[in-house]
Order: sequence, then structure tokens, then C-alpha cells
Amino acid sequence: MLFSLASAHHGWRWTTGDNIELTGIITDVKLGNPHGVLKVRAEQEVWTVEVGQPYRNARAGLEEGDLAVDVEVKIEGEPSADITEKLMKAERIWIDGQLYELYPERD
Amino acid sequence: MDHWLEALAATPLAEWMRYSRWGYAAINTLHVFSVALLVGAIVPLDLKLMGFWRRLNTELIAQVLVPVAITGLLGAIASGVLLFLAGPADYAGLKIFLIKMLLIVLATLNALNLHWRIGYAGRQGALRVAGALSLLLWLGVLVAGRMIAYV
Repeated sequence: MLFSLASAHHGWRWTTGDNIELTGIITDVKLGNPHGVLKVRAEQEVWTVEVGQPYRNARAGLEEGDLAVDVEVKIEGEPSADITEKLMKAERIWIDGQLYELYPERD
Repeated sequence: MDHWLEALAATPLAEWMRYSRWGYAAINTLHVFSVALLVGAIVPLDLKLMGFWRRLNTELIAQVLVPVAITGLLGAIASGVLLFLAGPADYAGLKIFLIKMLLIVLATLNALNLHWRIGYAGRQGALRVAGALSLLLWLGVLVAGRMIAYV
């Protein structure tokens, strides 16, 4: 139930159109179709981060176990237009300085 | 209820829907195709029942459109169950999803009532009401279904 709302966002219409950067520790992971969802604790806030479906994540070079609890990630992407949701959609992810491009065509 | 949903999510079929690269996309496509068949057949049938194309025979038109609509409905149910398996608790927790399920039940009951009790040669008033109700309910299903991806 935790992800019931976040898991339903498609497209980019609900985001602001501008990127933000989030660095934090993954506290929860739920990968799969129609797309994966992470919980990332950054300082005192917990953000919900939408990542790709299995195809997109694999294409970006992410392997099983890369997105896991306690892993530190830097994420660039677009936040929900309603900033109080603390919800964003990842365009690219860095783990240990290694870049994984989920949406290479987006800036 | 919750542990039923979790048990469903743990089945091999659910795992396949959740993690397959192209399986999910294929089932998704099948769902869209089935909905297209269903709505594509039901809209002209409903309009006919509501009084369009007066010179054409309703029973003959129903002979073409009803089997197409039923095929679409069965395909949509089968593919829909598989899509649901990808995240049973997520969908069961979505109000718009529950509204969609309710609308499907009502629309199906209306169709069964039309098919088995009123009949396509039935009273014009009853046919008009059944047709209008069908149009409203199935389009409601379509809208609610699409909204699942955006709420």
C-alpha cells in the first residue's frame, strides 16, 4: 500500500519540467512493472523516487542489487509540481560515482 | 484481504508480470486491443439502440457487434487480471481502480439484462434506456481505466 499513489504516475506532465538533485540513502526498494519506486532518505526528509521499468533500468546498466537498501545514491530528475509530495522521477542516477542514464535524451 | 493480495503477488505469474521486459508490454498492448474491440463494437450498438440508423435492422447489427464486444470484454478481463497481478495491493488500494471495477460490473449486468431479458427486438423505450446506460457505463470504464495511470 505504501506506494499506491506514487506507482501510478506516467509521463512527465505531473512534474515541474526542471531538474533537482537528491543525494541520500535508499531505505526501501520496489522494482518492477510498470516502474520501480525507491524511498530515499536525504537529511531529515524521505523522498519517493520513481525509477524505470525493468527494461529501462537494465538499459541504463543497472544490475540486480545496484538499487538496494542502504546504498547511497545521487539522483537527478524532475520533482512533482506539488513539492509537498516529496516525489520525483529519476532521469539519471549515480552510485559510487558511476552514472546510470535512465533517460539519456532528457536534460 | 492484505495477505490475500500478498499471496497473489508472490505467485510465479505475478513475478513474471512484474519483472518481464516485454511480457508486461505485450499484455498491456493486448489490453488496449481488447478495449478497442469492446468499445469499438459497443458504441455503434448503443447508438443504434438509442435510435440511430433507423432503417437498419437492430437484430442483424447485434449479430455482428455483440460477439465482437464479448470477445473484447473477455480479452480485456484476461489481460486485465494479468496487469493487476503486477501490483495487486497497489491497484486494490486505488479508489479509481475500484470505481472502474464497479462500473464494469454494472455495465456487464446492463448488457446481460439487454441480451437475455429485453432482447434486441424488445420495446423501443427499454432499448433506448439500455443503450444510453451502456454507453455511459462503458465510457466511464474507459475513462476510469485511463485515469489509473495518472492519479
